[in-house]
Amino acid sequence: MAANGIGKYTVSFGLSLAVMSVLNGLLVIVKETHEDSVLALMKRLTPHHWITHGIFVIVAFVALGWLFSRANGGQGIQIPVPRLIALLVGAVVVGGALIAGFYLIEG
Amino acid sequence: MSGGVEGLMMVHVLFGMLCIVTAVWVFVDVLNVSEANLARIRMMSIAVAVFMWLAYLIGGYWYVTYYAADKAVILKGPWPLAHSFFMEMKEHVVLLLVLLTTFLPIAAASNLAANKQARTLVLCVVGLIVLIGMAMDGSGAIIGVGAKVGLMPK
Repeated sequence: MAANGIGKYTVSFGLSLAVMSVLNGLLVIVKETHEDSVLALMKRLTPHHWITHGIFVIVAFVALGWLFSRANGGQGIQIPVPRLIALLVGAVVVGGALIAGFYLIEG
Repeated sequence: MSGGVEGLMMVHVLFGMLCIVTAVWVFVDVLNVSEANLARIRMMSIAVAVFMWLAYLIGGYWYVTYYAADKAVILKGPWPLAHSFFMEMKEHVVLLLVLLTTFLPIAAASNLAANKQARTLVLCVVGLIVLIGMAMDGSGAIIGVGAKVGLMPK
């Protein structure tokens, strides 16, 4: 249990969730605006670009969470819980808004 | 579409709804947390993740395998936004839901009865799951209607 009273995996995977929420939204915009390069590459990697997208987001979430938990000599990243909550909620809202906003404009 | 394919879509919706209902259960249980219901909160948090993953994998299989025909119908019909906004948005926002539900059992492993901040974190995560889940459910309904009106005689 970390000094802030919650486990190091809660902090590390919470931060990973925040990062990947925004990256997920950015990846949508990048792949849809670069169909000949990014989207084409994602289509080549798996039978469907959406499968590549999902695998990237989920694998990166696990990898980042694990990396964040190894920081600080194995104690994990230290962050006050209210800041973690604000980051997590804010990032999910921004990630969702990036996607919805993009398709609202481009759709 | 064969009956089996339609059944697959119904199972996708069923697990999605189970995910939302179970998340609401967790929300209420956390509001009334004590040492007595900690184990149930953790078990139900895992159930939320399992239901979401089943909904995601089944819906994903259906989307990749069968959706192209529906997409063509929707885009030629009177509700093209059912695909160009709602489906496009849904297929990517759902990943946020997968991450949130996967994170929930990790966050619920803290002692929620003793730690108010941990409780707040779990309540925020579950709240997001319920809100995004309902948005996904509503989008799914609009996509379904988009396909239906696309098949109607003009």
